Amino acid sequence: MKAAFTSHQQLRDYYQAEMAAMRQSFERTGNGVMCIRRRALVVDCLLDPLWRLESGGPLPEGLALIAIGGFGRKELFPSSDVDLLYLCSDEQREDKLREGIRACNQAMWDLGLRASPMIRTLKECDRYDPDNIEFTLSLLDRRFLAGDHGLDQSLQTQILPGVALREWSSIVHRLADLARARHQKYGNTIFHLEPNIKECPGGLRDHQLAQWLSLLNYVHEQKAWPSTYGSSLSVNNEAASAFEFLSATRCFLHLRSGRDDNTLDWQAQDEAAAQSVGLETKGTSDPAYWMRTYYRHARTVYRRAILAMEALPPARQSFYRPQRRKRVPIPGTDFVVQDGRVDVSEAALLTGPEGILRVFALIAAHGYRLTQNAEERLADALPVLDVHIPEGPFLWNALREILLGPHAAHALRTMHALGILELLIPEFHGIDALVIRDSYHRYTVDEHTFLVIDNVHALRQPHLAWERRFSTLLAEIDRLDLFFLALLMHDTGKARRSGEHTVQSVELADSLLARLELDAEERDMVRRLIRNHLEMSITLRRDIFDTETIRAFAEKVASQAHLKMLCLMTYADIKAVNPDALTPWKADSLWQLYIATSNFMDRSVDQERYRADLDPTQLKRILTLAPESAQELRTFLEGFPQRYLQTRMPEQIRDHFQMALQLSDSAAQVNLRSLRHFWELTVITRDRPLLFADMAGALSSWGMNIVKAEAFSDDAGIIVDTFQFSDPFRTLELNPSEVERFRAILLDVISMKTPIEVLLRRRPAARAPIMVRVETRLDFDNTASTHSTLLQVVAQDGTGLLRQIATTLAAHDCNIEVALIDTEGEIAIDVFYLTIRGSKLDETKQEQLRADLMLAIEELRPAHAGG
Amino acid sequence: MQKIEAVIQPSKLDAVKEALLAIGVEGMTILEARGHGRQKGHTEFYRGREYTVDLLPKIKIETVIPDELLEKAVQAIITATRTGKIGDGKIFVTAIDEAIRIRNGERGMAAL
Repeated sequence: MKAAFTSHQQLRDYYQAEMAAMRQSFERTGNGVMCIRRRALVVDCLLDPLWRLESGGPLPEGLALIAIGGFGRKELFPSSDVDLLYLCSDEQREDKLREGIRACNQAMWDLGLRASPMIRTLKECDRYDPDNIEFTLSLLDRRFLAGDHGLDQSLQTQILPGVALREWSSIVHRLADLARARHQKYGNTIFHLEPNIKECPGGLRDHQLAQWLSLLNYVHEQKAWPSTYGSSLSVNNEAASAFEFLSATRCFLHLRSGRDDNTLDWQAQDEAAAQSVGLETKGTSDPAYWMRTYYRHARTVYRRAILAMEALPPARQSFYRPQRRKRVPIPGTDFVVQDGRVDVSEAALLTGPEGILRVFALIAAHGYRLTQNAEERLADALPVLDVHIPEGPFLWNALREILLGPHAAHALRTMHALGILELLIPEFHGIDALVIRDSYHRYTVDEHTFLVIDNVHALRQPHLAWERRFSTLLAEIDRLDLFFLALLMHDTGKARRSGEHTVQSVELADSLLARLELDAEERDMVRRLIRNHLEMSITLRRDIFDTETIRAFAEKVASQAHLKMLCLMTYADIKAVNPDALTPWKADSLWQLYIATSNFMDRSVDQERYRADLDPTQLKRILTLAPESAQELRTFLEGFPQRYLQTRMPEQIRDHFQMALQLSDSAAQVNLRSLRHFWELTVITRDRPLLFADMAGALSSWGMNIVKAEAFSDDAGIIVDTFQFSDPFRTLELNPSEVERFRAILLDVISMKTPIEVLLRRRPAARAPIMVRVETRLDFDNTASTHSTLLQVVAQDGTGLLRQIATTLAAHDCNIEVALIDTEGEIAIDVFYLTIRGSKLDETKQEQLRADLMLAIEELRPAHAGG
Repeated sequence: MQKIEAVIQPSKLDAVKEALLAIGVEGMTILEARGHGRQKGHTEFYRGREYTVDLLPKIKIETVIPDELLEKAVQAIITATRTGKIGDGKIFVTAIDEAIRIRNGERGMAAL
C-alpha cells in the first residue's frame, strides 16, 4: 500500500500509527512472521517519499535504493535496524549524491527508524572481502525498493552470481568459521537458561546461516540464481515451525523492551509463557513447558545449521581424504562410517538394540557424528526399540562402553536428542531441558550433566597447572565406569521439585541400578557418590585450614577412594555450572581441601578406633546379618580402626567375622578374588612378628605387584589385611589351577610352614628400567596418634618394596598397628602406624630406622632408563 | 558516602552478607582474593610433594554506603568475622565523591 505523503509529520504519523496497529495485531494473534513482514512493508512505503521530501525529487539515475539483510528478507523485527544499500553507478555519482543520502538517513532517524545505511558502487559490490563477509551476505538478501532499476538488475543478474560462484569456497568456509566461533562463545550448546535467541546456538542467526548455505550451495551447483525470492529457499515444516516460534519470541522481546533486546531472561520467560508466545495452543502459563518448547525449536535450528556446515567440503584437500571418503561398514551393525560420520546402510532394518548401542559406543570412542539420514532412521526406529529395551548386564556393558569413551558426552547428547537415552534410562527424562533458576547455573540440568562428564574426560589432556593436579586423581580411580554412572544420575532428582535433590537422585539411581543388575558393592559406591556429591562444595564454604572442618568432612567421606571420586566430581560439577564458575581460586581451594583431608585420613586412622559401647549403631547393622553371634561379633570388632568399618559393607564385615571364627581350626583364612583390573587378597589371622613382611614377600615371590593394601588389627590381636595387586605375568588369569596353589602357599607362609626366604630365592627377575625417578622420602610424626608413631614412606614403586620395608621395620622391633599402602604410577606411598613394645618411637629410634630404611629401599631401586 | 573494603576469611562470607543485609546494606561486590598479613602461608605434604600456599584464599567485600551507616556496617562486619586469631582480616574505609546508577542516571545517595 503506497500512500501519498507531503510532509515529514505525515510520514511520522503514518509510521507510528502502523507500528501501533502492528503491536495490537501481534498481541491479538501472536503471529511473529506477519508482524515482521508488516513492518518491512510499512518501511518500504516510507523510503521513497522520504527521499522525495528531502531532495525535492525522485531518486535520480545512477542511484538505486535496495533493502538488504533482514529488511531485504522482509524480516524487520520491531526494534531492528533498517539495513539499506544506496547503490551508485560509479564513484562520481556517489560523490554527487552523498549529501542527499546523508540527509535522507538523518530524516529516517528523525522518523524513529534506526537506519543502518551503506553506500557502494556497483564495482565495489563485485569485490569480496573475507574480513567484511557481512556485506556480501547482506547482499544475498537484496530487494529493490526504488530508483535506478537497471542498476539493481546488474547487481542481481551479474554481480551477485559472479561473486557467489567465484568466491563460493571462501564465502561458505568463512561463514562456517564465524558460526563455529559464535557457537564456541556460547559453549556449543542450546541449553542456556537465559538464551539470546538471535545469537545463541539454535537462534535466528543459525536459521539464517542454514538459509545462506542452502542458497550458496544452490548457486554453486546450478550455476544460476534461484528463482525464489532472496535467500528464502524452501524449508521443511519443522524448520518453518521453529522460525515462526523464534520470530514470535523476538517480536515479543522487542515490543516488551522497546529496543533490540534478544535475551530471554527469566522475567521474559514468565511473561512469554503467560501470553503463550509462539504456541499454537493458548492459555499455557508454565514457563518450564514454554522453555522446553523453545529448546525443541532451537534444537531443530541448531541441527539444521550443523548439518549444513558439515556437508561443506573441506577447505583444504587432505592426503587422507580419499581414505576417509570410503564407506566402511561397522561390523555387526547396519551402519557405515564415511568421512567421520555414521550413516545407515540402505537395506538396514534397525530392529535390534545391539547394533544401535554399538554405534553409540563407537561415537563415544571416536567422536563420530550421525548423518541426517541416520538420525531420521533412528528416530523412526524408536517404537521398535521400545519393544526390545535391553536390561541387565547387556545394558550395563553397553552403557559402560559409552560412558568410558573420551567422547561420552557427545554420544549421550546424540542419544538424548534422539530419545534413545530416555528409552534406556527413563529416570533421565525428568531433567530433559529442565530449567532450574538460580543466579549461578547457566545451563539446563541435562546439559549440565553432559558437561560434567565432558569435564572429567577433558582431564585426560590437562592444559592448566591446576587441571594437571586433578588429572592425577583420574588415573587412580578403579571403577571409572561406576563413577561416570554416578555423574550421569547425580542431578536426576532435580526433576522432583520437593525434598533434597541428592536424596531423590539416589532413589532414581536405585531404580536404574536394579535394572542393570549391579552387585551390592557397586550399587553402594554409586549411591554414596550421588548422596555425597555436594559435601565437598559445602565444606569449601567453611574454614578449610581448620582441623575440625577437615575432621568432620573426613568422617563423611570415610575412604581415600571415595574422597578422590568426590573431589573429581566436585571439580567437574562446579566447572559445569557456568564457564566462569571454576576460578583458579576455587580450584586451588578444592585441591587444598582434598590434600588436607587425604592427609588427615591417613594420619588419623590409628586414633579413631571402634568401641561398641560408644557406637552401638554400627554393630546393629552387622548384627542383623549374624544375629546368633552377637557377643563374638562385638569382640571381633572391638578396637578396629573406624576406617575398617567405614570402608567395608556390612556383608563384607560379616564375611570377615565368619572367617575369623574359623581360626580355631586353621592358622589363617584367605580369600582371593579377581577384580576388574586387579586381584584382591584378604587374610584373616592372628598377629605375629614379621607377618606383614611375610605376606608381602609371598606376593613378591610370585611376581605380584602390590598397588594397595590395608592392614588392620583389633584389640584381640586378629588382623584383617587386604592386598590389591596386579599380576603382570598374568599367572593366575592364564593358569586357573595356579590359583589354588597360590592360596596354599600363602597359607603355608602365614602359618610359617614354608619359610619366605625359600620362596624369595625363586623370585622372578627384576622388571624393565623405570622412566621416572622417584626420590625416597621418609616422614615421622609423633603427633598424629596418641599411642603410635606415624611413618610415611614415599619411594620408587617396585616388586619387593613392601617386603623390604616391612622386614626393616621388623628388624627394629616395630609392630605395625595399621598399614595403608597405595601407589600412584611409579610412586609408592605407604603409611605405617608403628609402636615398639606398645610405645611410640623416640627420636633416636626414628633416626636409626630412617637410616636403615633408606639403605634398604635404595638397594631395591631398579636401573633408570636414562642410565 | 563511604566505601568499605573488607578482606575476610572465605568461610565468613555468608555471615557478613547476612549481617550487612540486616542493617540495610543491600549492594555489595564480592571478589575472590589471595593474600596474607602476619598470617603466614600454609604448607601441606602430599604424596611426597610439597604444596605451599603463600597467598591464602580470601574474600574481599566492597560496598558503598551512606555516611551515617558507616559505623554500623563496620561493627557488623567485625562481629560477623572476628575469631581473635591471626588471619581474621582487615577493613578499609575511603570517602566516595560520586555514585551514578547507570540504568537511569541517578546520582549521589539516590544511586546507592
